[in-house]
Amino acid sequence: MQSIDPAWAWQPFIPTPQLPWDRSSVAHLYRRAGFGADLMSTDAAVEQEPAEVVSELISGSPDPTDFRSTADALAQATLAGGDPANLSAAWVYRLLYTPNQLLEKTTLLWHGHFATGAEKVNDARMMWNQNQLLRDHALGDFGAMTMKISQDPAMLIYLDSAINRKAHPNENFARELMELFCLGEGNYNEMDVQELARCFTGWEIKNKKFRKNRYQHDSGEKTVLGQNGNFDGEDGVRIVLEQPAAPQFIARKLVRFFVSDELNPSDAMLQPLADLLREHDWQVAPVVKRILASNLFYSSVSVGHKIKSPVELVMGMLRSFKGTTNAQLVAKGLRNIGQGLFYPPNVKGWDGGRAWINSSTLLGRANLIADILESDATRFEGKSLSNYLRGQDVRTTDQAIDHFEQCLLAVRLDDAAKAQLRKTAASHQGDEERRMRSLLHAVTSLPICQLA
Amino acid sequence: MLISTNQNRREFLRSSVGGTAAIGIGAALPKCFAEAAAGGNSKGERILVVVQMSGGNDGLNTIVPYTDDDYRSARPKLAIPASEVLKCDDDSGLHPSLVGMHDLFQDGQFAAVRSVGYEQPNRSHFESMDIWHTCRRKNEPRPDGWLGRFLDQQPLTAGGDVPALHLGSEQQPAAIASTSTRVPTVKELAEFQLRGNNKQSLRELLGSRPPTSTPSDNELLNFLQSSTTSAIAASQRVSEAASSYKSEVKYPETELGNKLRVVAQLIDAGLTTRIYYVQHDGFDTHAQQAQSHSILLRQWSDAVSALIRDLNNHDHGERVCVMTFSEFGRRVAENASEGTDHGAAGPMFLCGGGVKAGIIGKHPNLTDLQDGDLKHEYDFRQVYASVLKDWLGTDPAPILGRRYNSLPLFA
Repeated sequence: MQSIDPAWAWQPFIPTPQLPWDRSSVAHLYRRAGFGADLMSTDAAVEQEPAEVVSELISGSPDPTDFRSTADALAQATLAGGDPANLSAAWVYRLLYTPNQLLEKTTLLWHGHFATGAEKVNDARMMWNQNQLLRDHALGDFGAMTMKISQDPAMLIYLDSAINRKAHPNENFARELMELFCLGEGNYNEMDVQELARCFTGWEIKNKKFRKNRYQHDSGEKTVLGQNGNFDGEDGVRIVLEQPAAPQFIARKLVRFFVSDELNPSDAMLQPLADLLREHDWQVAPVVKRILASNLFYSSVSVGHKIKSPVELVMGMLRSFKGTTNAQLVAKGLRNIGQGLFYPPNVKGWDGGRAWINSSTLLGRANLIADILESDATRFEGKSLSNYLRGQDVRTTDQAIDHFEQCLLAVRLDDAAKAQLRKTAASHQGDEERRMRSLLHAVTSLPICQLA
Repeated sequence: MLISTNQNRREFLRSSVGGTAAIGIGAALPKCFAEAAAGGNSKGERILVVVQMSGGNDGLNTIVPYTDDDYRSARPKLAIPASEVLKCDDDSGLHPSLVGMHDLFQDGQFAAVRSVGYEQPNRSHFESMDIWHTCRRKNEPRPDGWLGRFLDQQPLTAGGDVPALHLGSEQQPAAIASTSTRVPTVKELAEFQLRGNNKQSLRELLGSRPPTSTPSDNELLNFLQSSTTSAIAASQRVSEAASSYKSEVKYPETELGNKLRVVAQLIDAGLTTRIYYVQHDGFDTHAQQAQSHSILLRQWSDAVSALIRDLNNHDHGERVCVMTFSEFGRRVAENASEGTDHGAAGPMFLCGGGVKAGIIGKHPNLTDLQDGDLKHEYDFRQVYASVLKDWLGTDPAPILGRRYNSLPLFA
């Protein structure tokens, strides 16, 4: 990894005969910047310049108002029931239908970053409000997002900081703000945790709303990360974000999320992105734009070097063929295989990468895809799978394998794997719909399809 | 009891060998599943069950220094009243929820080691857990965990089963990460099988790599491929192994109880698996600790003591040890939210017929603290060293990185 030149890495990608701008590189971009696209959209993007396609993805935010109002109305309906478990389905609906995939993808990133679990918070509306907060800032100002999160009822309840008194400051939020949200372990010491915790005293949640209780605020002098003063919580967040480690930490998060889980980028490699964050006062969009249009992003370091999260696998399978299905089924299924929306495993969120994979989740992935394909609610552009594919001029087993490969796989199938897939399809010779579903199930369950 | 065990074993061997032939994975089966050993796990092979209390267990309210005035003054709201403590000796006793553990203690099947920790304690859950899992600090390479390194040393010919198994829906702990072995995670037995119309052909497709294919130069793809073949093979064996188990012991209807019942099923079916790993989450009690801690401890105590009783009834009691740990203890003084913040040293626990019962370690000194936390008397690697050497019968030094003095934990 040391051998990658940071200057080369983040320069704009210019297609070459060896690395052309074709279906495969466009599909890579759509998988990483979202959850995948059908072949027709992919072909349309091939006709544009890479930078142009990336710009469109970025400027797609914020949500188009009509989509947002429909999605919000649906979420409000689930909130009326009060059960946080239904929220997951409301988010699945968004993931399935949003015209702005990058925004949703980045919202999911921040949900794993500022991880808060509905099981403990146990208040659907609070969880939803936090989700909107993350969406509103997903590609915007990271500093503002952090400030808002530090006063977010769901977050403070999750980190046991709903009551914070000066006599015994609660260290939990202060610690995670530095360790997990902004700086990373090793960039602060225990004294900083205790002093930062004093800054947040008096911050509390009352009647489900944030407020400052000035009688419980410790107004004494504090020393946080080398700065002295009579700081309050806002100062605390500001001081944390002023640390040089902060933009590095966020740049690393973005690179691992969009480029590769396997990459352990050096500080030198991250510095150009960290600088970009500083220059743009913590705006996330310019950095994401730089990453998605870069040499590194389209290189062999990135392509096929990321493991699909459960959401990426399922949404990829559906969105690549204009699929829709029962959102409840998907929401529950995702939780079973390790990515329950609104239910991250702990405050560190999902580790991602190889941690997504074990015997249970591998079988679970195959089983969830089977359940979705067998559900009556599952349609592809409103049709059965075989009818949808016929509309794409896909009739034979070989054509179907090619079509699935182009949409879903970052790495090509070898001949032996294709032969085995043909054998799988052969057992359903008479029934075209069965044959196509069985083939799609098989392709999606292959180890190679877990790669993005 | 022994007879029925053997019948179970034979039946399960027959069905899994048949199953292997039927699904046609034969030669492509990973080495660790090659063929079930005819005898299964022999009497001599000892088993370790690790229970991880995730979140940082409050050791002071688990093994309670009930006569210590400093304990009471540091915890005006959270101190356990002396009258409620389940007494072990003149100054130490168990939390009132630990009735099952107290019974084991009186039966000579429970040991606790006090004040276990390590130099320069790290109060991050994740970093501290990684230190316990890998025995390495952050600035050192951490490709594997201490149990993973143990697995790497085991001969693959010993049996046909996975050498270790993680039960639960959480992420796999780094402790069992190995450079050569894929340890399966089993969420629920019922879920641990392929579903769908074409499961038979899918099993064939996923269970083997086509003979012509060579390992890819994409290391991540190789990882996915070997994980998938392991998953298919383990799914067959484990599901069949547990199918005909009967027990008189009633396990608590909790997540931990369910996991440990599966452990008993698999042990009794004769799986050659030597390490079982389960997690018990929720110990990060920053607020309103009293009630949640009490529930968590009861769940732990009821489930582990049920497992021990069940194993004893099935004649496996002498060869199974349950070891419990947490990534740190909690601060001595309670906080304003009637909870406790992240601390340092805490107790570890060992249960089973082979342990030397009792409480090891000095009464913790509540006045000589570091940053408000208990100082450690034992390094956790001393406990690991004892488990590796005296229980699993292997040289601990290469696994732990250096030599640690072991403790008298086993009879």
